[in-house]
Amino acid sequence: MSENTVRNWLVLAGIVFCLAFCLFPFIYMLVISLSTRADFLSQRASFKFTLDNFNAVLTDGSLHFPDYLRNSFLISLASAFFCVVIASLAAYAITRLQFPGRMSLLFFALAVSMFPQIGLVGYLFKFMTRLGWINTYQALVLPYTAWILPLSLWILVSYFSQIPRELDKAALVDGCTYRQILCKVILPVAAPGVLSVFLLSFIFAFNEFMFALMLTTDYRARTVPVGIALFQGLHGQTPWGNIMAASVVTTLPIVILTLVFQRHIMAGLTRGAVKG
Amino acid sequence: MSDITDKEIKAACVFISPLIVLIFLFILVPVLGTLLNSMFQDVAFLDKQFVFLRNFRQLFADSGFRQALKFTLLFVLVSVPIEIVLGMAFAMLMNTHIPLRGLLRACVLIPWAIPAAVSGRIWELIYNYSYGLANFIFTELGITTEPVNWLGTSLGAFIAVVIADVWKTTPFAAIILLAGLQAIPVELLNQARVDRANFLQVFYKVVLPLMKPIIIVALLFRTIDGLRVFDLIYVLSGGGPGGATTSISHYAYKYFLGGDFGYGSAVSVILFMIAFLLSVFYVKAGRFMTGQV
Repeated sequence: MSENTVRNWLVLAGIVFCLAFCLFPFIYMLVISLSTRADFLSQRASFKFTLDNFNAVLTDGSLHFPDYLRNSFLISLASAFFCVVIASLAAYAITRLQFPGRMSLLFFALAVSMFPQIGLVGYLFKFMTRLGWINTYQALVLPYTAWILPLSLWILVSYFSQIPRELDKAALVDGCTYRQILCKVILPVAAPGVLSVFLLSFIFAFNEFMFALMLTTDYRARTVPVGIALFQGLHGQTPWGNIMAASVVTTLPIVILTLVFQRHIMAGLTRGAVKG
Repeated sequence: MSDITDKEIKAACVFISPLIVLIFLFILVPVLGTLLNSMFQDVAFLDKQFVFLRNFRQLFADSGFRQALKFTLLFVLVSVPIEIVLGMAFAMLMNTHIPLRGLLRACVLIPWAIPAAVSGRIWELIYNYSYGLANFIFTELGITTEPVNWLGTSLGAFIAVVIADVWKTTPFAAIILLAGLQAIPVELLNQARVDRANFLQVFYKVVLPLMKPIIIVALLFRTIDGLRVFDLIYVLSGGGPGGATTSISHYAYKYFLGGDFGYGSAVSVILFMIAFLLSVFYVKAGRFMTGQV
């Protein structure tokens, strides 16, 4: 066998391992969610197909799973939206306007993103309690936005700084205001970057756990990750079928986003990380 | 001319103020509050009292904290190198010219993209003593005759959380490293091939040296992230058995939950300091702060 054939076989084996490694927990989750019993493997019982688990988590009001889903989507969408708007404004100022401390602002944002979440959550809890904001959307949206802003800023600065200055100089000569240049010139050209930031912010907010755990106590603002983590059966036994069905429903939109926008998510992550 | 600069500065202030205000209110103030609080006795239903460094002195005598510290450092020390090596292998696979490469990349991304709490639940079921997938495979293949008590023993739980974390975060390392691989000039690799260097020679002599800065970036990100690990372990093992897999974040969280904000803050401050010192070490090792944006 030539070196090339050996190489091709190695690559194939690697890809098979890589795919199996990444995907087997999802397949397991899907199988259990569609099975009448979670222990059919060890009991040597045959797999019996059912949709009862999905039915239960999507319709049983006492489980509040649809509430968690709605909270998660609204909170993540709002956080992603604010991140895009606020980071675009700041990134425009940093890349296009001459003001003292531009670079320090960028490195300040980087330094801030290094703080561990646990160092914020205790104080935030007292703060939100005093405001009476426990179990409200704003108690999560505002910290999420602040927490994701540094990464968003870095990604957008990297995109904006690649846009030729001549474009906005021309617009400036035509009498456009800064705001018009940002909305009509920069943002359309940097659309892939804006999409990356939106997707990443959405995913980060959707997956966040510690703030949501500490700042919510019931279904009014509790998000899906916390809901699934604290999922309890009514009769003491862990209802694995229900939990896996809820997990499938939660991961499905994220999996679809990843499959459709893989390129944008990867681009955003590498811009944010590598430039940092 | 100065008129334009004034206008620019004014506009800049308006444009950056939302960012500054949000970061100030929801990150800086809480961080400073935590720093301050770490020097107070701040327990629910008791009067707040300044105790200076007493919380920290107490920490060093606290066996629960020492256990959490030891676990967290060991966890980072074991899982991060595995993630970087495996991530490098995945990055090289994702960089080969194969059909459906986009689909492969998306599949690798998925474990990173889903909530850690959900992966924690899936792995909790996989490790289930009586009917989990891990014990089913182990006993079917005859690797062990008895089921393994994954989450009930210290060593089992440690291995369990490391494997789950490797699964969850290797994709992130792979994506960062892939960006580094793509930045290597193709001519350089072709030249090496013309010189009849074999695969391993190319890897050690060309790829690795060029990748050093980006490997350090990946190490830095993974180390800082690993030090503050919380959600995956909180869900998967609950920090048990007997606190064997309780991370520093988790330990601080328990105090916050119990209403002891002074002591919890002190634990968080120690975590800050460890993360900060390690970042400085990496930045020095990489010397990649050359100021280019």
